[in-house]
Amino acid sequence: MSPPDLKNEINAAEVEPLLPIEKKLIGWSLGLGLALLAILIAVNHFVPIKL
Amino acid sequence: MSDIAVKVSAPIALRARLNEDWLAVVIGLLVFGSALVSISGTDLLGWAVTTSVYTDLAQALNPFAKAYGWLGGGGALLATYAALLVVLSIGVVTLGADVRKFALAFTAVFAIAYASWIVGSYAYVAAVTPAEQQKFGLAWSLKLTNEGGFIVALLSGLVIANFFPRLADWLKEAIRPELYIKIAIVILGATVAVTAAGRLNLASSLLLRGAAAIVEAYLIYWAVIYYIARKWFGFSREWSVPLASGISICGVAAAIATGGAIRARPAVPILVSSLVVVFAVVEVLILPFLAQTFLWQEPLVAGAWIGLAIKTDGAAVAGGGITESLIMAKAAAEGINYQPGWILATTTTVKIFIDIFIGIWAFILGYIWTNHIDKGPDKAKPSEIWQRFPKFILGFILVFAVSLWLAVGSTPQIAKALPAAAGEANVFRVIFFVLTFFSIGVLSDFRKLWQQGFGKLAAVYFVSLFGFVIWVGLLISWLFFSGFKPPLVS
Repeated sequence: MSPPDLKNEINAAEVEPLLPIEKKLIGWSLGLGLALLAILIAVNHFVPIKL
Repeated sequence: MSDIAVKVSAPIALRARLNEDWLAVVIGLLVFGSALVSISGTDLLGWAVTTSVYTDLAQALNPFAKAYGWLGGGGALLATYAALLVVLSIGVVTLGADVRKFALAFTAVFAIAYASWIVGSYAYVAAVTPAEQQKFGLAWSLKLTNEGGFIVALLSGLVIANFFPRLADWLKEAIRPELYIKIAIVILGATVAVTAAGRLNLASSLLLRGAAAIVEAYLIYWAVIYYIARKWFGFSREWSVPLASGISICGVAAAIATGGAIRARPAVPILVSSLVVVFAVVEVLILPFLAQTFLWQEPLVAGAWIGLAIKTDGAAVAGGGITESLIMAKAAAEGINYQPGWILATTTTVKIFIDIFIGIWAFILGYIWTNHIDKGPDKAKPSEIWQRFPKFILGFILVFAVSLWLAVGSTPQIAKALPAAAGEANVFRVIFFVLTFFSIGVLSDFRKLWQQGFGKLAAVYFVSLFGFVIWVGLLISWLFFSGFKPPLVS
């Protein structure tokens, strides 16, 4: 497909609603990410960088 | 990345990427192995050209080793060009490129890129400290350090891309920023190891903190950007996946890997990749200077931030190099002399950690898409994890491990000779950085991208990058790296 077709496609595409599986993916990613970051911040606090 | 402007077939692009990865490993190991021979007393690469800060052009170029002084600067430059031409020409033959076209184009690319590097080393551009200015008899200078040559190379490429499109098209066979930066990263393993060997505790602490970058890129950035693309901008799933991957993980490689994994049409991730390159250019022109201004007292925060915010390997790692030079120069002006290598090592660590998981993330998305969204006979297979793994990282790890062992596990004589050998390899790392910057510039034809309908895609990128990615990256970098400085020069 040539780039001009893609241009029209981008501008004229119908909206695809978020599926439950996509919502799950977003929710689990964010939840797991924030939880892991909290753990890493705790590790960072208790195991500080050694010079 | 080199294929973006000319090819729109994902299978071809993916195959090329994989081959390019292995080629980068082979060439990187060739440079590293040749440099290591110098430990035995036989200097195989001492003829490589280096550029000093100068006011008299005749004094600018020299061979790396004094033993090759008879070559002179011009001879060293020609020898370096000839060696790169031969090795890279043999290499691109394995990628199926037209070697004659490549040789002609590479000659021009090397000439313009290295000329840019020489311009960047002119004392009025590069001199930083008052002592340097006094040494060269200058009343003023741009204080860009000699790594300002990267910026000059990038600008040269941008001028060619936007004002001389026919020349840009003629050069395209040698415009291979992904190949150049991957070779540079493999070689960089030696410098990072030599740097780490001096402070193993600090180095291992940096590795632990690299894990935060993985969490941030894959689990937080990706989810938010995917949501923004789908919900706010109404993009389809096929566009949103490569877009989210390109902006959040690692530009080109991630967009192509995840686009392939969800069975997107080939042209989609390729066009997204073009956008990533353009934004990386903008970032690399701005962020290092912001880091120098606002983060010079937190050098490791700056290094991590660059690795998290700039979304292509080439621009990120090279941007880390510029940031290191700028911050070290500013600190030196304040009387603080940091050991070189730590800021760049932090950027590289962050970037490599993020890259490692591209294959796994692509498989997870592929599994969800082929089993729950676009159900069909073509299911995602675990073997795709290895297929999509960026192989050049293996080269980096091997060079790093061997160098670290030589530095801390071998004889004192070898450990003492290793930094010089790594320095010799580093000459080529710098040259490949210059080629990367120039190539990225040549790929960034802003007008052409606008004509291809990138306005809406660019809007997602702009909103995500400046509204979220940069600031969250800064926060995370601050949380994990603030308060810790590189060792001082003793």
